[in-house]
Amino acid sequence: MSEVTIYIDGQEYRVPANTNLVDVAKFYADNDIPVFCYHPKMAPVGMCRMCLVKMGSVEKNRETGEVVTDENGNPKIRWFPKLQTACTQTVYDGLAIITNSEEVQVARDDIIEFILTSHPLDCPICDKGGECPLQNLTMRHGPGQSVFYYEDKMHLDKHVPLGELIYLDRERCIQCARCTRFCDELVGDDVLAFHERGRRLQIVTISDPPFDTKFSGNTTDICPVGALTTADFRFGARPWELKEVPSLDPYGPEGANISLSTRLDRDAGGRIVIKRVMPRQNEYVNEIWISDKTRFGHHHTRSDERLTKPLIRQNGQLAEASWEEAYQVITDRLRAAKSLGVIAGPNQSNEDLWELKQLASHVENHHLGVFPATMSGGDIVNTVGVGVGTNFLDLKKGDVIVVVASDLEEEAPIWYLRTKVARDRGVKLVLLNARPTKLSKYAKYNLTYAYGDAVSAINSLISAVIGAGKINDEILSRVDGYDELAKSVKKPAYTNFTEAAEAIGDAQNMIVLAGSEGLTLAQQRELMQACANLLIVTGHVGRPNNGLIPVWHGANIQGAYDLGFTAEATEAIYQESLDVVLVAGCNPVGEVVEAEALQNANFVVVTSLFETETTAIADVVLPRQSFAERDGTFTSGERRVQRFYTAQGVIGESLPDWRIFAEIHYRLGGPKPKLSAGAVMAEINKAVPSYAEMRYKKLAEMPRQFPDVGGEDLYYGGTAYQNRGGIGQQTPTVAEDPEARLSVRPVEAMTPKFDGLVVIPTTLLYDRGVLFRRSTLMHQRIPAPHIVINPEDAEAQGITDGDTVAIVVEGHRYEVQVKIDKTLPRGAVLMPRRLSNRPDPSVPTVLESIEKIVQPVPVTEG
Amino acid sequence: MGIINGLLTTIKYALQSPVTIQYPEEERVVRERYKGKHVLRRYDNGLERCIGCSLCAAACPADAIWVEAAENTDDERYSPGERYAKTYEINMLRCIFCGYCEDACPTEAIVLEHEYQLSFTDRRDAIYTKDMLIVPVPEGGLPTPQKVEPGTFDRAIPDMEDPK
Repeated sequence: MSEVTIYIDGQEYRVPANTNLVDVAKFYADNDIPVFCYHPKMAPVGMCRMCLVKMGSVEKNRETGEVVTDENGNPKIRWFPKLQTACTQTVYDGLAIITNSEEVQVARDDIIEFILTSHPLDCPICDKGGECPLQNLTMRHGPGQSVFYYEDKMHLDKHVPLGELIYLDRERCIQCARCTRFCDELVGDDVLAFHERGRRLQIVTISDPPFDTKFSGNTTDICPVGALTTADFRFGARPWELKEVPSLDPYGPEGANISLSTRLDRDAGGRIVIKRVMPRQNEYVNEIWISDKTRFGHHHTRSDERLTKPLIRQNGQLAEASWEEAYQVITDRLRAAKSLGVIAGPNQSNEDLWELKQLASHVENHHLGVFPATMSGGDIVNTVGVGVGTNFLDLKKGDVIVVVASDLEEEAPIWYLRTKVARDRGVKLVLLNARPTKLSKYAKYNLTYAYGDAVSAINSLISAVIGAGKINDEILSRVDGYDELAKSVKKPAYTNFTEAAEAIGDAQNMIVLAGSEGLTLAQQRELMQACANLLIVTGHVGRPNNGLIPVWHGANIQGAYDLGFTAEATEAIYQESLDVVLVAGCNPVGEVVEAEALQNANFVVVTSLFETETTAIADVVLPRQSFAERDGTFTSGERRVQRFYTAQGVIGESLPDWRIFAEIHYRLGGPKPKLSAGAVMAEINKAVPSYAEMRYKKLAEMPRQFPDVGGEDLYYGGTAYQNRGGIGQQTPTVAEDPEARLSVRPVEAMTPKFDGLVVIPTTLLYDRGVLFRRSTLMHQRIPAPHIVINPEDAEAQGITDGDTVAIVVEGHRYEVQVKIDKTLPRGAVLMPRRLSNRPDPSVPTVLESIEKIVQPVPVTEG
Repeated sequence: MGIINGLLTTIKYALQSPVTIQYPEEERVVRERYKGKHVLRRYDNGLERCIGCSLCAAACPADAIWVEAAENTDDERYSPGERYAKTYEINMLRCIFCGYCEDACPTEAIVLEHEYQLSFTDRRDAIYTKDMLIVPVPEGGLPTPQKVEPGTFDRAIPDMEDPK
């Protein structure tokens, strides 16, 4: 990056060109130019005028271009006649500013006084009090006394719900428009707006349902005053009483960095509990944003329904027992086990998975499965995954992001947000899907294929790339199997992909996000290989900002693949009648119909946080600890291994999963259990080559991040928390080794032929999963069990929008509501997962029958 | 001579009225500014002055105060404004009676009064809860929570005096 010379208060600094003056002054000169409306993640608007500085340019000789110096040899500066806003200024060579003169101080004092004219100053009851930019700046610049009469202040509503999650205090609002700009410009959800003008100006929500965005909580973080507060935290604690613990999102594949704000609580028996979840800055992962699921989905950690003691089935009933008794029963049974199936849940940490694998190795005939088994190809990700150092923020104009077979907003909201923002910078978005999603309106190329046909679509794209002559010849020397691949895609199924193919060929960088919507597991694996083919032949592998990102349905599915667990094994466990099955931290029986077969196992052990449909068939149930009570590591879809830390006390006698598995293994003759998760990781470092460098100390390393957000001077980026837990480390891919051979192979579409309507399972962000449904605040956002159908198909079936119907899929009957969507292709019936209390079909299946019924759908709560 | 002087002093003091009192039968009246046990005051209408802001706890050098706040509604109103103290506890064994909490309080809710007879036989009894600290409802006032007209008590902090 080219550098320029600027002068701040007479000091000379070398800073990167084309960066914002406020960011640069803070990062390089430690000079905090105060701001309200400016936010480093958004385009400047210069509304609040708080950042006024004296600005000028170094004088240069017009003929020679040399800097003119004064008698002391210092550069001569031509000052602009009036103060300028720093936030709207991009640095250029020779820029000079003065921030400490009396003129500037007086200007700032006046702006603060002006902003305070209508502020209620109710800091004692304000949730922002103590971490409030306005409060901090008032302490620095504010007048000691008000010159206004109290009655002259504007008195507006103090308790306005903007939806059920966020409350607005109109009096406190200083009209900086950070919230409206965040929703409108960054996320792209036009849900907040200004109403009226001048002193009466107010924030209103203009969507139905109100404040309809999956990122609403972020507005409370970036609000520079206490105008926006969350319903979850309102009056929960004062900020100075909270202890921040670095942690990770337990739901999504993005690995969003969070900070758990903890405090003692009388209602929880005087124990430490999570009071709120805040984002933690990691510019590589989630910057400073988190989804509302991450923010409000933490209530399972202190639910009263948590399992507290081991349960053993005696005379058909589960009865409480001690750990020793439970270990005894399990080890006795495992010694005699003929075969063992292990199903690891989506948020088993790497340490859990490692100990689980060691334990499973005790039984010769064993399968290591992962749940949910919707996606495959972790090994492909380890070959052509995104290069180490990948950052969506580094993608530039002309680069390409391809999203295939995924509704990114629902499945990985952080990647949705970052993709959308990258597109605003000029990144071309190529979207391949069978139906339009929320991302479609931002895509430069919307390529539609028939459901199940994703592989043909990618093959057609490769064909078009070859046709356009955009194959990367350089990389072909280390690629095996190119000729067969080129031959196999000669007759593309889709012929209108040329423009997108050219964009891909011309792009310097390309990231492919591959999902699983409408695909069986085998098809999905082929899709991953097809994406790998595309990335390899266009040379988009082995470098930062290039490669494949899988849209896993869980926080640590990548880690599971890295340690030898696969979705294929899960299918095998469902199909084969196994002697013993061990289910770790998930609920397959309650979520997918195939898992009913687990009932046929002779002995079932389950580790769980709650009683579930799976614990109901278990012979032994072991209480596990949630992510908040223990430490460990997750590996994100970008293969970033990151640590989470212990935030709250243990509930009951629960233990972390790794400890449970190690104890059982020990009793079977294994090594003594390790004393900490860190010691387990040290073992992984030795045994797994790609994890050799993933040592706890290294994962906790915390380089300085630009822009500097959070920390002591909270007024800058809002209350997003400073990262003290480390930014993690990406595991290397095979493609990054320049000596490594890469292989492509032809993949077949395997598109199944269905007659009639096909039920396509989809994933929604808000569902009734075992953990998320404990957050009662979010229940209003979880839709009732429903199907989505094309209007013509609906008419043919004689059903209309809002009807309740009974559908039969694979012999299972579901009562669901009907939603009509005219953008949906004919023949497809979308059925979102985990909305009812019944297991859902996990792969596309023929709809056997559909019949209108009258009674309303029972909605299960709790 | 020396022994007589000494005796005179003794006789002088023997004839003066004593400085000690017969506690506990007799109790001494303390000074106006004496800092004894805290009380949480109410407004005339019975609403609690305390708004649960926790500033007293922040100011407390002995970490003796524990406050947990909750939200008022017009149907169940404890204090003016949106916030009230759901839990308010002072550990009297920790308290050093410095009065910083009084200084910190934005609504003059907490006041160190003249009660000084604090004794306990159990450490747990030293934790005074909100019920033990709050003053009785004044005459003409109503106990909390009160059901009030919406919009009547929407400000936590009494209107500031106009500047001179």
